[in-house]
Amino acid sequence: MIKTMIALAKMQFKQYNIYKSNFYLFTLNRIVEVIVYIFVWQAIYYQTGDAGGFTIAEMTTYYILVITFSSFALWGINEDIAHSIRNGQINRELLNPISYFKYYFGVNLGELTFAAVIGLATFIICSFFWQLVLPTNLINFILCIFIMLLGVPITFFIQMIVGTVGFYTSSIWGMQILRKAIIQIFSGIIAPITLFPLWFQELSKWLPFKELIYTPVSIWLGNTQMNEIFFVIIKQIVWGIILYFIARIFFNHAVKNITINGG
Amino acid sequence: MPIIEVKNILKQYKIMEKNDGLLGYFKNLIKPQYKKITAVNNINFEIEEGELVGYIGENGAGKSTTIKMLTGLLTPTSGKIVVNGLVPNEKRIQNNKNIGAVFGQKTQLWWDLPVIESFRLIKKMFKIPENEYRKNLKKFTEILDLEELLDKQVKNLSLGQKMRCEIAATFLHNPKIVYLDEPTIGLDVFVKENIRKFIKEINKEKKTTVILTTHDLKDIEDVCDRIILLDKGQIIYDGDKQKFKDIYGKYILAELIVSSKNLDIANNINSNNFEIIEENENKLKIKFKHDETTIVKIMNDISKYCVIEDIHMKESELEDILKEIYKGAYRDDKNNDSTSKDAI
Repeated sequence: MIKTMIALAKMQFKQYNIYKSNFYLFTLNRIVEVIVYIFVWQAIYYQTGDAGGFTIAEMTTYYILVITFSSFALWGINEDIAHSIRNGQINRELLNPISYFKYYFGVNLGELTFAAVIGLATFIICSFFWQLVLPTNLINFILCIFIMLLGVPITFFIQMIVGTVGFYTSSIWGMQILRKAIIQIFSGIIAPITLFPLWFQELSKWLPFKELIYTPVSIWLGNTQMNEIFFVIIKQIVWGIILYFIARIFFNHAVKNITINGG
Repeated sequence: MPIIEVKNILKQYKIMEKNDGLLGYFKNLIKPQYKKITAVNNINFEIEEGELVGYIGENGAGKSTTIKMLTGLLTPTSGKIVVNGLVPNEKRIQNNKNIGAVFGQKTQLWWDLPVIESFRLIKKMFKIPENEYRKNLKKFTEILDLEELLDKQVKNLSLGQKMRCEIAATFLHNPKIVYLDEPTIGLDVFVKENIRKFIKEINKEKKTTVILTTHDLKDIEDVCDRIILLDKGQIIYDGDKQKFKDIYGKYILAELIVSSKNLDIANNINSNNFEIIEENENKLKIKFKHDETTIVKIMNDISKYCVIEDIHMKESELEDILKEIYKGAYRDDKNNDSTSKDAI
């Protein structure tokens, strides 16, 4: 089973690498994003002498890491699923000897591997131009990566839910935008969550999105306590299970009820 | 013990009825009205292991619906399907391990990658043993002439090349049953022949059961031993291919080359025994049943109006027979058949 998923991940990864320009353009894109964010915060810092409670070095590191991790949190297969539903390709995929979920989990892993490669390239290039704050110890670094990986099933199940909407509407474009917007604001891509109102911070504490980017970065910077990390790990596992069941029930319901198009 | 058992299958679709105009649009929004459409109505058949079955019928007769139910992609409204000891729509994934399927233009090959990559993925997914995989690949490459295609990206293949690869991919894991839903659609004669040869050879060697739907009756003539004919969601014939021709192929077509014709024969001649289907200056096309009259009698009748110079006769082929059936020539024979009555 694992072997099949790795094979699927490899296929998806290769599919991306067929077009070499994919890699360069995506990486360039990320670097431009980093530059924009850093310039904005530098401007704020030199005007007011304060960058949202961070030092300017921390803020620079924050954004480089955020953009490095961002494709990992935002990318996925919901578009592929909606597309496969719309053109009837799903009929083929339902005839595979592994379940649709496992099949696309494999594909999703390939997608995320590519996102990770782009993130890594962005990180390396940026580290030439800016002085980065490094994690104070190895444990923090490992925890940072671990918490980020806990987000993989969570984003996958959310993608499955959004993709399944494709059974009911012909376009999931709106749902896509909504999903991205929610993740962007709750995961701290737009700005560090500590800058938002208190009620928002309280809410984000219970939602699973903060841990996709904000929490790993803040562990990297050494701003998170151990007991908080423990809470966060439990929370992510619980969310993973909840979202799994929602995605599963929704998808099975949709497959059962909707007459499959085409033929 | 049949490998496929289909008992009293009924499949109904619900289709939303659209009202016209703005008012209709709001009506639909508030209270959608549904209309039931019966795609497949009370069909029964059994298929033994190793059979080559041609599943034919007009567009919309319910062929694809049946195939989808057999693969477990659709749940029958009522009735029972057992494939290889499993109920497909309940144990779909388990069932998938034993079957292969080709659906017209939909592909299981990865668009941007070389063909061989997709084959390797299939090997992993179906857990095909290495030596089995190599043996099959070698054999398939030979028969379907894939040698040069395997390293090409799928998007660069022509339709025929793609279909050859698709067929190979479908048989790679030695499925017990293969459903081919219009595998030869849009292909040229050579590719079609290639594919037919392949199906026959694999069937002979591995006793693979094949169910083939097609609109190209040459496929059926070449490949299948048995025909199941579907019309308006019901089976109107199920049995041996040769017998099918004997029962329905009682029409004979004759073409007469005539001269010095001075009036319209079709309007003047009076006969229940034969029918003039085409008439022009020096040619007549005639259709008749060989148990009702003979060509000599017909020629006798016609020679009153003109001089017959030459004659060609042709026994009806599968295609002609089907044309007749689709046109409704035999519907009267089936008195217990209420739906087809409605259609007339």
